[in-house]
Amino acid sequence: MNNRLGALLAAFLAISLFFVFKVPDFVSPRNLSLLMIDFAITATLAVGMLLVILPGHIDLSAGSGVGLIGGVSAVLMSNHGWHPAPAMFAGLGAALALWWAMGSLIVRQRIPAFIITLGGLLVFKGLFWLVIGSHTIPISVGGKPNLYSSLTTFYLPPLAGYALAAIIVAGMIVSTISGRTQRVAHGFPVDDGELTFLRLFIAAQMLILFVLVTNQFRGVPLPAVILGAVAFTVWLLTQHTPWGRHLYAIGGNEEAALVSGVPVERATIGAFTLMGAIVALTGLMQTAYGGASTTTIGELMELDAVAACVIGGTSLKGGRGSVLGVLFGALIMACLISGLTLMAVPPEIKYIARGAVLIAAVWMDVKLSR
Amino acid sequence: MNPLLSAHHITKRFPGVVALRDVSFDLQPAEIHALCGENGAGKSTLIKLLSGIHPHGSYEGELRVDEMTAQFRGIADAERAGIAVIYQELALVEELTVAENIFLGAEPKRGLFIDWPRVRREARDLLERFGVDLDPDTPCRRLGVAQKQLVEIVKALRKNSRILILDEPTAALAEHEVQVLLGILRDLRTRGIACIYISHKLEEVFALADRITVLRDGATVFTAPAFDTKKAEIIRHMVGREITELFPRRTVAGNRCTPMLTVEGLTVADPATRRERLRNVSFSVAAGEVLGIGGLMGAGRTELLMHIFGAWGKRTAGRIELAGAELPALPPSEVLRRGLALVSEDRRRYGLILDQSIGFNLSLSALSSLTRAGFIDSSAEAVQNTALFSSLRVKAPTLDVPVGKLSGGNQQKVVLGKALMTGPKVIFLDEPTRGIDVGAKLELYELINQLTDAGKAVVLVSSELPELIGMSDRILMLHEGRITGEFPRVEATQETLMQAALGHIPGE
Repeated sequence: MNNRLGALLAAFLAISLFFVFKVPDFVSPRNLSLLMIDFAITATLAVGMLLVILPGHIDLSAGSGVGLIGGVSAVLMSNHGWHPAPAMFAGLGAALALWWAMGSLIVRQRIPAFIITLGGLLVFKGLFWLVIGSHTIPISVGGKPNLYSSLTTFYLPPLAGYALAAIIVAGMIVSTISGRTQRVAHGFPVDDGELTFLRLFIAAQMLILFVLVTNQFRGVPLPAVILGAVAFTVWLLTQHTPWGRHLYAIGGNEEAALVSGVPVERATIGAFTLMGAIVALTGLMQTAYGGASTTTIGELMELDAVAACVIGGTSLKGGRGSVLGVLFGALIMACLISGLTLMAVPPEIKYIARGAVLIAAVWMDVKLSR
Repeated sequence: MNPLLSAHHITKRFPGVVALRDVSFDLQPAEIHALCGENGAGKSTLIKLLSGIHPHGSYEGELRVDEMTAQFRGIADAERAGIAVIYQELALVEELTVAENIFLGAEPKRGLFIDWPRVRREARDLLERFGVDLDPDTPCRRLGVAQKQLVEIVKALRKNSRILILDEPTAALAEHEVQVLLGILRDLRTRGIACIYISHKLEEVFALADRITVLRDGATVFTAPAFDTKKAEIIRHMVGREITELFPRRTVAGNRCTPMLTVEGLTVADPATRRERLRNVSFSVAAGEVLGIGGLMGAGRTELLMHIFGAWGKRTAGRIELAGAELPALPPSEVLRRGLALVSEDRRRYGLILDQSIGFNLSLSALSSLTRAGFIDSSAEAVQNTALFSSLRVKAPTLDVPVGKLSGGNQQKVVLGKALMTGPKVIFLDEPTRGIDVGAKLELYELINQLTDAGKAVVLVSSELPELIGMSDRILMLHEGRITGEFPRVEATQETLMQAALGHIPGE
């Protein structure tokens, strides 16, 4: 696992350095801030995708869902005069119901997730276009900011950014120390103290550097905070709850998981339902980022999410993958797109480059896991 | 007469085991030669050798076909020599028709394209010639098991096979279907086709075979013309192994009357075929007792355990009581919570998540008891895992090693540890010593003693009669889904158990 993360880090550094030399603007605060928002939206969806890939499924409907949920909330707000908050919650509720239904069909009727979510891709796209009447639905009337539109236009003030970083660092220190004390109390071996300190120190440095850079341009963007919350939650769920263990077990060997007393159906439906919530969140962010709900919102995002998972070392057969890996995968994809855009590479070539990176990453992974 | 096929002094070794030991065997033209033996006696290995799956060079000794040395490099070579095997798991393509299956891989062509009229015509001719009453245009998925078997046989004969090897062909057949099959085999014999027939059903063997050979522990122990021997003699040779291994069963005195698991009139159907696989099964097992369940392959032992555990089959009648409370049909997660744990015979398929660590697997079934406020208490988990890891003496450097990297015996300990961590009252052990070495076996037997000392009830399924007799307090024998005998340990002998396993109910 560490090998794989090392390789990802190396790939990320190589791609970043290439762009830094080619287009120095790549590391301008403004570009980094934009890159951060792009990355946050893709990565949020990718972290959700991890949840359904872990038990061995896939969600091809995520991209259409992003468009649909963003559209539903936009229409309720702009055309029906709802307040942003209930409009957004209505979108979230719809997503939970739809993804719960897809999950139930997949496990109870034993229809492959590929088929169900491919159907979902088409159905949701059609519903989306019906809902917005194939028009452009703005999400802020007369350019006035509201709760919905500020999802991607709000930045934490500089001080709040530092405060948040401080709280996170403090949390990491406390959890590391208490974990070590417990292990020592039970007589289990612990990592070398200096190594642990070094790891914490580097993480804290990175976090503070991130706040410093984003504060040069407006501050920490809200999507980054949302991604942080989603990634932390999913990490906690996958690594530290029975449900998370169950997802890994189902993906590793479904029959053995069943005989070991894993509630296979319930756990899998749960993964899809949570994916629904994450799709809704991504849909609201992506639509807010675009400023309006239009027919192309969310297009192909499901494939970016799957690509980020795979680049990050997630096995499509299930049973292997981690939040940290997925974040790296999404970061590599986001850097690539941002850098190529800055270099004014035409979109045709950008698609080809994304595909090539995906294939290269999987090829490397196959080599590494032998 | 010169034999059509013969094996001379064959020895086949697998890492750690000798599967065949100096086996000699021959098949005459137009002869039906039955091969008998317990599970694991070496029948399957011998077939794999004759059919080229274990290629020349992977064994010692010599195979001859028509008195010429045969060096099969693979299945294709054996087929060219005229040998065809009809396996228990049929190898037909369900979606293709009978004719298409018969000619699969050897379709007659006209130019670049398949000559379909010829495929149908020749298939019809073949079916007629061998007296098989089937329409060549029927898709195979519409056929029953017996009919599929006939298609396989015709497919083999199409390749001009002279030697048919049938491995338990009647295991899934009804009585009248068996008669059809036997009739066809007798008919083929008159056409000069020889047959090696493997079956646990001695009635069939005596009704069909010209000669009978018994394999035991990888050696041929007996060969005789069928008219010259008797069932009792065959059974004696099948089981004649001495109980040399050490079985340290300590019987717990006293409190044997608290039944932990009671099964009454259980009838269960296979969900796929709707055929009844268990009929009117009743038994009970008490705290501190080991109940052994024996029977041949396909008798329904595993199905019985898997059904009670909630992982297989549809119950059509009967009731189950676990620790004094009714146990309805529930999924395994619920059954485990109520105090019944299962160690499956197929640990790679049903037992382990092979890519995950020893620790992950050990605690998988017991996570709910290790959870505080929704999160796994990782130090409590580590404490429990470490305790089991050392008490079971799993041989691995740390708990973080993937279980897929362990030896069979150590994997088995992990599966067992996983079951024990749930704190069960009743434990099902399905072939717990399969594929593990003698040392690990002894450790496992000792563990069974500790479990019953602690007042747990153990149900032990085993194919090895000495193990069954050595480790059980009471033994049930199953035959075709029914109980054909119940023996207290002191009354059980290998002969009486084998009689029951073959379907002879004592006193009938």
